[in-house]
Amino acid sequence: MWETVAQAVINGLLIGGIYALVSIGVTLIFGVVKIVNFAQGEFVMIGMYISFFLSNQFGIDPLLSLLVSMPVLFVAGVLIQHFLIRRVLGPNDMPQIFLTFALSLLLLNLALMLFTANYRTVHTSYSDEALHFLGLYVPVAKLIAFVVAMALSGALFVFLRTTDLGKAMRAAAQNRDVAMLMGINPDRVFCVALGIALALAGAAGSLLMPFYSAYPFVGQVFVLMAFVAVVLGTLGNVIGALIASLMMGIAESLGIQFVGADSGQIVVFSMLLLTLAFKPTGLGGGRAR
Amino acid sequence: MAERRTLFWLAIGIAVLVTLPLLVNSSFAMDVLIRILLFSFIGVAWNLMGGYAKQLSLGHAAYFGLGAYTSTLLQIDFDISPWIGMIAGGYVAMLASLPIGWLCFRLRGPYFTIATIATAQALMLIVLKFRDLAWGAEGTTIPNLGSAPLMMQFETKAAYYYVALGLLLIGLLVTYLIERSWMGYYLLAIGEDEDAAEAIGVNAPRIKRNIYLISSFLTALAGTFYTQYIYFIDPATAFSFNISIEAALVSIVGGIGTLWGPVIGTILLETTSTLLQRWLGSSIGGVQLTVYSLILMAVILWRPTGLMGMIGEAWRRYGGSRPARAET
Repeated sequence: MWETVAQAVINGLLIGGIYALVSIGVTLIFGVVKIVNFAQGEFVMIGMYISFFLSNQFGIDPLLSLLVSMPVLFVAGVLIQHFLIRRVLGPNDMPQIFLTFALSLLLLNLALMLFTANYRTVHTSYSDEALHFLGLYVPVAKLIAFVVAMALSGALFVFLRTTDLGKAMRAAAQNRDVAMLMGINPDRVFCVALGIALALAGAAGSLLMPFYSAYPFVGQVFVLMAFVAVVLGTLGNVIGALIASLMMGIAESLGIQFVGADSGQIVVFSMLLLTLAFKPTGLGGGRAR
Repeated sequence: MAERRTLFWLAIGIAVLVTLPLLVNSSFAMDVLIRILLFSFIGVAWNLMGGYAKQLSLGHAAYFGLGAYTSTLLQIDFDISPWIGMIAGGYVAMLASLPIGWLCFRLRGPYFTIATIATAQALMLIVLKFRDLAWGAEGTTIPNLGSAPLMMQFETKAAYYYVALGLLLIGLLVTYLIERSWMGYYLLAIGEDEDAAEAIGVNAPRIKRNIYLISSFLTALAGTFYTQYIYFIDPATAFSFNISIEAALVSIVGGIGTLWGPVIGTILLETTSTLLQRWLGSSIGGVQLTVYSLILMAVILWRPTGLMGMIGEAWRRYGGSRPARAET
């Protein structure tokens, strides 16, 4: 019995690392720019397709293609902030919500037109490898993805704590007006925040590719999970989002193990609804928006 | 004077709409017209809450689906006419909007939107899971009784057209009356700034709950009509996310928080989509929503007041004396 539980926990924890990359991006954008990026999942999808095509055309390992997908999406993030999001920042919610929502629809349907709805997979030498210990089974591809995801999250945390730009981002998140008075250029900070968030989504896509299929709707799976994790972990809180994502991964995996294979989504939705009903400000407390 | 002129144009408009089916004899064109009327109506229902009170829901498919399933279950299991089922569906939707609203209204802005998406998806999953109740994922066809007006089944498309037109007129009338009532002003105040509205004594939670009741009731009527029109129901069509998207889209493109906005938005979007299908064929997936999202982005970036705002500007510039009311 404990082995089944432990196995489910391990599976959940490993996929939770990927959820963490997506939700940290969402919560970073929310914290700094004060918008919710509905298109975050589509950037995971783009990261996956970048890795798929690099692997398919040039035989590049999906993990190496991280070095392509992350910079490409960083630049995309800067451009999207500069040319689109910057123009709708203001007190009005409607343009902000529907701009990123329209972006999500656009990217999803463009992918559908260009790549069709077919599932694309990449098979690597380590796709079927697994470590065994204590009767438990740890797939290598997922383990690598988890370790890299945690390393990237840690790097972001160090960046936010120690560098001037990182401190500027935290300052802009806390109080935009005062940060501006201190000589921080909010446009630049916002561009970097979008860039980092999208690069993390791209990294999630590349890391997923050895063990997950790419298809146009794939982002929807991750973005809903991320939204729940971001609420659970208190909006704008990077550490909160990380911990909540790992918890969500474990909860989903336990649900699949003990309730049924198609119950993953139900677990996610019930967690969202329970959070909204009893703890809309997140587990860490703080203010809801 | 102005009142009388408005009434005059309204009478002309209704006369044209009523005679239209007599002039159009292509079944394809009738189908497009019915879609325009139906989606205008859904947009009008969404606009009451999303447009005036700025509670930007992307979960109205929940009520569309509840309306569709209620009337279909009543018809197939109990032989009750969809006309009655339609009203029953409206009440079921209203009942469902209470707990859903209780949950979702705890959040504001984008997180309200996400919560509405999640509740609609959760409802779809429930209908999918409980196959004993409602046929599961396969759905079911509606028994075809031939010409049975009492069971909301007609032999000509023209009859469906008149039902859809009737629904749209009801929706517009409700909007018109609310716009001119105290509730309309409360809604606008909440839409502008909810905290400020509460500070001056608007009972925001109550107003939001009431407008959600009305909006979900109307949306459910559309669900019943659509199922009767296509003679088929399954969770994926009845609770389709595209319904939620289109309800919001037509209102925003046409002019959010205006009486005629959803109608004008639907005419533009549905015509574009029909022309695209004629031109490209429906073989390539994603074309329609790609174009919709581009139009939506263009509207948000350059004309946040939508087509109604553009019409208002043109009216002012080219010498209309009547001030256009399309601010918001």
